[in-house]
Parts: sequence; structure tokens; C-alpha cells
Amino acid sequence: MPKSKVSIYSSYQKLTEGIIHRSRSILIGLADFSMFFIRYFKELIRPPYEINEFVKQSYLIGNQSLALVGITGFIMGLVLTIQTRPTLAEFGAESWLPAMISVSIVREIGPVITALICAGKVGSGIGAELASMRVTEQIDAMEVSGSNPFKFIVVSRTTAAMLMLPLLTIYSDAISMFGSFVGVNIKGDVNFRLFFSQAFAQLSFTDLIPALIKTTLFGLVIGLISCYKGYYSDKGTEGVGQAANASVVISSLLIFIIDILAVQVSNFIID
Amino acid sequence: MEKESINKIKLGIFLVIGLSILGTGTYFIGESNQLFSSTFRIHSVFKDINGLQVGNSIRFAGMTIGSIESINMLSDTSVQVDMVIDTDKMQFIKKDATAIIGSDGLMGNKILNINPGSISGKIIEEEDFIGTIIPVSFDNIIQQLSKTSENAALITGDLAMISGNIKNGKGTIGKLFMDSVFAENINGTIVNVKDGAESFTQNMNAAKKSIFLRGLFKKKTRAEDKKKK
Repeated sequence: MPKSKVSIYSSYQKLTEGIIHRSRSILIGLADFSMFFIRYFKELIRPPYEINEFVKQSYLIGNQSLALVGITGFIMGLVLTIQTRPTLAEFGAESWLPAMISVSIVREIGPVITALICAGKVGSGIGAELASMRVTEQIDAMEVSGSNPFKFIVVSRTTAAMLMLPLLTIYSDAISMFGSFVGVNIKGDVNFRLFFSQAFAQLSFTDLIPALIKTTLFGLVIGLISCYKGYYSDKGTEGVGQAANASVVISSLLIFIIDILAVQVSNFIID
Repeated sequence: MEKESINKIKLGIFLVIGLSILGTGTYFIGESNQLFSSTFRIHSVFKDINGLQVGNSIRFAGMTIGSIESINMLSDTSVQVDMVIDTDKMQFIKKDATAIIGSDGLMGNKILNINPGSISGKIIEEEDFIGTIIPVSFDNIIQQLSKTSENAALITGDLAMISGNIKNGKGTIGKLFMDSVFAENINGTIVNVKDGAESFTQNMNAAKKSIFLRGLFKKKTRAEDKKKK
């Protein structure tokens, strides 16, 4: 066989092997994550419960993220109002601003932006923390000492993220509405009571409930992905950075995927 | 340990405030949907609901007093609309009240306006039916406009034909405007009429001076002078 044909053949072989190896590792990763997911629910309902750790994690995820979420929410409401006003003003429909902003914040922007901020702040934090615990063999030590590291580390963090995210979204929505009120009053003069009565007039439970369910799922995804990436981290200190990075990237991607699915499901159920 | 309990207190405050905001929001949303107020139900049957939807507002004297609870088709020409209305507004609505479908501004949602009915009428009761007024729909306006434009097209067609005939010198007016011979004839006729009138004036003057008719003209002049006095 000529030399050039041999080199083409060997490069094809390498490519095929690479694809097979990559697919295999993706499938193994998916299977591992499914096991991790099932184990989370099993450990969640099985006593004993790590209440103290759960409270501590709730404080870290909830209270510590409030400032960031609040500032982002305020700016979001303000900017959205300022940007929307000229278009509505063209139709003489400026009085629709509060209703339009409230529906878009409660239904979509509030939950997604809050989840993305938490994916960045909380997700990377959990991923890096758990990965360093793995690298420094703290998780192994816990296993050897007979305690259940999964329950202590994963269940507490994921449950805290799952419960704190809807609460953070409520804060974010409220602050965004206030930001919108400020935005409306920059060029106009709308009474506080009128603004909020107009904002709530167009809202219904079909806007609020799907949004809260969605944010619970976002919290579950952020917690589970970050814990999974950190818990099974390897490659030493390099793995810590990789776990933090992967936690943010995969969580953010899954937030958008869950969002589109949630919109379709809620529209199907409501209609 | 102390730091831990402070954190727990902070978390507690965070939870309480968050849940209070949720509770307040839930209350206001519920209130706008009449969930927390006492309501009564009345019905109306429309031929055409004009895009009215479940949840649309009901207005009475410009105030929002309720919402559309359900819409059911009874037959091909009648649609039943069920409304829930605040109980405290019940006393103002009479049995002969009427409902009409309108819209909230040019681009707004459809709304159902209730006209109060006669002052001496009986107050409406739970599950009563109220009459309806057929609204002028946008489609009807368009239909009318289409008829008008059809008529306008016919009229402009006729006008175009008439102006074409005039331009081509057809008909009396066409000849008047366009035919030079006709114009000359008219000119000649006018000249003849003028000559005739002059001759007639001369004859009349001669008649006034004639012996037979002088008395008659003098009598006429005297009668006119008398009238003036």
C-alpha cells in the first residue's frame, strides 16, 4: 500500500476511534448522571435529614445571592421599561407599559435571568467546592468514616438551590417591578398605586404558577449539575476549574432547554 | 455558633419577606380576578360575541365590576356568556339592564359593558338573564364601506362617460362646448333676438304715440302714480 494511502487510512481510523470514544464517554456520563439523579431523590426522602447543613446552604444560596439578584432585577425592569416606552408611545399606548412589563417579568425574564445569575454564582461555587473536596480527599474521608457524604453534600445543596431559587425569583420580580415603576416615572408621572393596579390587572395565576414551578426546576438543575460535576471531579487541581466551568455552562444550557419545554407544557395545559 | 444563629435569623427574615411578597402578589392577582370577593352570576345570550374571551372585564358605568366566567355555544346563532359580578354592585343593576360588547380602547381587549336599565326597574337576581344589544362590528362597517365604494365606482363611471360625450361633442351640452357651427348658430340667433327686441321697442314707442292707444297708456301711467302715492 502506498505511503499516502496509509496515512489517510490511519487518520480515518483515529477519527472513528475518537468519535466512538467521545460517544461512549457521553453515554457513560448520561448513565452516571441518571444514577446520581435517582440517588438524590432516594437520599432526599430517606432519614436522617441534614437540616443544619440544608439551612446553611439555603443561607449561602438565598441570602448571599440576594444583592446580585436584586441589582440585576432592578436594572432589568428599568431598562426594559425605557426600551419599550418609545414603541408603545408611537401607538399612544404608554398606559400599557405596566401590564406589559409585569407579564414579561413574571412569566419569563425574572425566572430565566435569576436562574442564569444563580447558575453563575451558585453553580460555579458548588462545582468548585465539591471538586476541591474530592481532590483533597475529604469526600473519601467522609465515606471511610461511615457518614453519608452524598446526603450531607449533594442533597443539602441541591434541595437548598431548588427551594431558594423560586424565592429569589419572587424578590427579583418585585424589585424589577419597582425598577419599571422608576423607569415609567423618568419620562412620565404615574402614581405608585395606579402603576401596580395596572400591573396586576393583566397578571393571572396562569402566569405566576408555571413561573414558580419552572424556577424550582431551574434550581434542581443548577444544584444537581454542579454537585455532579464537583462530586465526580478528577484530574487534580485542574479538575476544580473544569468542574466550576462545566457546572455553569451545562446548567445555563439546561435552563434554556427546560424553559422552552416549560413554556410548551404550560401553554398546552392552560389552553 | 453565634454566627450560625445570626445566619439562621437572616435566612428566616429572607424567607418571611419573600413569602410576604408572594402572598401580597397572590392577593392582588386574586383580587383582580375576583377570587377573594363575594360574587353573583348572571347570563346573557348573544348572536355574535365578537371575539370576547373568558376572563375579559365587565364594565358598569365605566367601573370594572366583574369578569367573564365562561362562554358556551347554544346553537349556530346563539352564544351564552356567563358573568361573575361583585355582589355589592348587584343593587345598581336592574332586570331590564342590557349588555353590549365593546373594546378597551382602539387596540385593547374586548370588554362587556352593562347598561344599568330603568330607575324604577326591579333589581337583578342571581342566575338572571339580561338582554343584549348587537354591537356594530368592524366587519359590518367594512361591508357598508364596500357597498358605498361600489356605488361610488358606478357614479364615477357614469361621470366619466358623460365627460367623454361632452369632449366628443355628443349631445346638446357637448355640441354647446365643442361644436363651432352650433356656437355660430347660437351667436346668430342671439344677434337676431337682439335685432327683434330693438324693432319691438321701436314699434311700442310708435304705438304709445298713436291716437288709438295714447289714452290707454296715459291711464296706465296715472294708475302707477297713484300707487306710488
